[in-house]
Amino acid sequence: MIKYSDSIREISERLLKECRVDMVIGFRRGTVPMMNEPCFAKTPEEVQAFVWDSNCGINLANYLTDRKEKIGIVAKGCDSRNIVTHIIENKIKREQLVVIGVPCKGMIDKHNIAARFGGEILDVAEESDQIIVKGHDFEETLAKEDVLQENCRLCIHRNPVIYDELAGELVDEQQDVDRYEEVRRIEAMATDDKWAYFDDLLKNCIRCYACRNACPLCYCPTCFVDESKPQWVGKSQDPIDIRTFHFLRAFHCAGRCTDCGACQRACPVGINMRVFTKKLEKDCLDLFGWEAGLSLESRPPLDFYRPDDPDDFIK
Amino acid sequence: MEHMGIEPERIQFSWVSSAESTKFVKVVNEVTAAVKALGPNEHFTKANAKVA
Amino acid sequence: MKIVKVDKKDWTDGLAKLYRTYRLFGPVKEGAFHCFRELAEGDRPDFEFQNTRLSAKGIIYPQSEDMFVYTLDESREDHHILKEAPKDDTPRAVLGIRPCDAKAVSLLKLNFDTPDYKDPYWLDRYNATTLVGLACDQPCGTCFCTSTGCGPYHEEGLDLLMTDAGDHYLIKLLSAKGERLAQSAGWDGEIDGLAVMENRKKAAEAKITQSIATDNLRAADTLALHQADFWEEISFACINCGTCTYVCPTCWCFDIQDEVHGKNGKRVRNWDSCMFPIFTVHTTGHNPRDTKLQRVRQRFMHKLKYFVDKYETGIMCVGCGRCVQHCPVNIDIRRVCELMNSHAASDACAAEG
Repeated sequence: MIKYSDSIREISERLLKECRVDMVIGFRRGTVPMMNEPCFAKTPEEVQAFVWDSNCGINLANYLTDRKEKIGIVAKGCDSRNIVTHIIENKIKREQLVVIGVPCKGMIDKHNIAARFGGEILDVAEESDQIIVKGHDFEETLAKEDVLQENCRLCIHRNPVIYDELAGELVDEQQDVDRYEEVRRIEAMATDDKWAYFDDLLKNCIRCYACRNACPLCYCPTCFVDESKPQWVGKSQDPIDIRTFHFLRAFHCAGRCTDCGACQRACPVGINMRVFTKKLEKDCLDLFGWEAGLSLESRPPLDFYRPDDPDDFIK
Repeated sequence: MEHMGIEPERIQFSWVSSAESTKFVKVVNEVTAAVKALGPNEHFTKANAKVA
Repeated sequence: MKIVKVDKKDWTDGLAKLYRTYRLFGPVKEGAFHCFRELAEGDRPDFEFQNTRLSAKGIIYPQSEDMFVYTLDESREDHHILKEAPKDDTPRAVLGIRPCDAKAVSLLKLNFDTPDYKDPYWLDRYNATTLVGLACDQPCGTCFCTSTGCGPYHEEGLDLLMTDAGDHYLIKLLSAKGERLAQSAGWDGEIDGLAVMENRKKAAEAKITQSIATDNLRAADTLALHQADFWEEISFACINCGTCTYVCPTCWCFDIQDEVHGKNGKRVRNWDSCMFPIFTVHTTGHNPRDTKLQRVRQRFMHKLKYFVDKYETGIMCVGCGRCVQHCPVNIDIRRVCELMNSHAASDACAAEG
């Protein structure tokens, strides 16, 4: 990871010195354990703040929407697919970007790690594939693969799909990953159990919209939950309104979500709202053979009619 | 919707052209019967906001 | 100030007695973190926590609450009449609120109880609530309460302050409400515990490792701070969610919405956040704070400057550290305060210079 930090700084410095970009967007070291803060560098000196480690789970493509500058952007596999989606959806132009691709082996799950320890975590350090967690009266070493974010554990697109520079060598993609095991488990439940499952999932939601705002796909000028004429969704803590927000947002991400996990990472109460989008991701794959953000050339399935689109659900 | 816990029979799709009146009657009757058999929907209902 | 000793073996007895008079709220562990929940009879609050994920603010000031209700159904006698929504204002006690959250309630009161306006919803609940504080002997690594005019044993806003002394609690009675609650619970074992509590307080305060400097904020020039050049860098990462606002015990903004169902309707008040893009949208459609920078700047200027100027009682922050821990992109108020405080200092030097 230190190597990545160095090469990101080197590349960014070069891009700024050569005036190929007006700014580079990356991460700087956070002030609390397991966090890094998205930041920008506009001068070659400022790039020294850039770091890269397994706490870079926020999706930086979120910061590209509708910007006009020439931007260098640090992007791991999932982020790069969101950049492709952004380009296809006209939220940024390819010519504006210099993508600094980061082949990624996964981010660690801060909610998962915090839940393993009774006391406060004061420091989390990373050494090759081990995570060392320290508290007031404990210190434990965990294997990184045991504490990966769930979406990273299931990832089959670790290498950036588009890049102009590479911060490190391409990594092997994971093989034989069953990405939809959790989705199938829920699909197999009885109807009432499904209802109860989602009730339980969403019971702590405080409608802070961190999930929505961390998501690069959510860029509507007025989100449906913010509309009041007409009021599609109530704004209160009514449980039906909370559920409606989550499932409708997932629908808006159908065929576009890359399972970057930023939504879940951002959530202050640790809700796994990926459960919604993962089902839609599976459906898009099953029904249309589609995975989001893999190519600048193909139009998404919900954008484009094909005569052989599945219609066996229509009687 | 089904994934979230609504009975699948509550939501049905059918192509019916305005010239297919017989099919229309058949579909309406079948879907009505299917939904009635499930009883009133208790899940996705909101009367008034449940707040403090 | 009277201090009583309550043996832990008598604790559940006391709770049972309290339950006869008060609805009880306390920290409960749900999943990975603690939150305040109403306690059923026989339930005990779980004091094995540093702080709750969300503050106790929601007990006096619920995230969503009815303001009034009405029906247009003419078969009903009360049709076309705006009726105050029925509330349960029976006495309640919050057990285990931390001193930072309690001081925050006092700060909220500055907003909801003014000479000109008194918010009846907030005040009714506040008046019915007794706050039983639990002192912090193990502050979080992100706490900075001692530099915000608060502290792990701070008494402001509390009716009682408890400290866990091993096999017993020492409870300091701080107000008339506190004394009434102690009486209901049968906590009457008075003890000379002042020195012990004072020592425990010093030990706890010594454990606070984080601090912020706020000494230059009052004298700072508002416009100079407003036009400072660091806002772009501070606000860049912000995703404009409401996390900081909703976890903050001192944030008070709300939105009012009407909800209608058939012939019945209600007006609901919900927490709102100045970080949301539509927070300042006018009915004309104009939005004076439609950029992220303006909104982020507003938040910190309010908490660290406007509030300081208006109320002259320090900053609008109690150092609980929740925003620092939970901001999805790690925007850190301690860092922002440092930038604002040192900018103000250099500003002053220029003026004197």
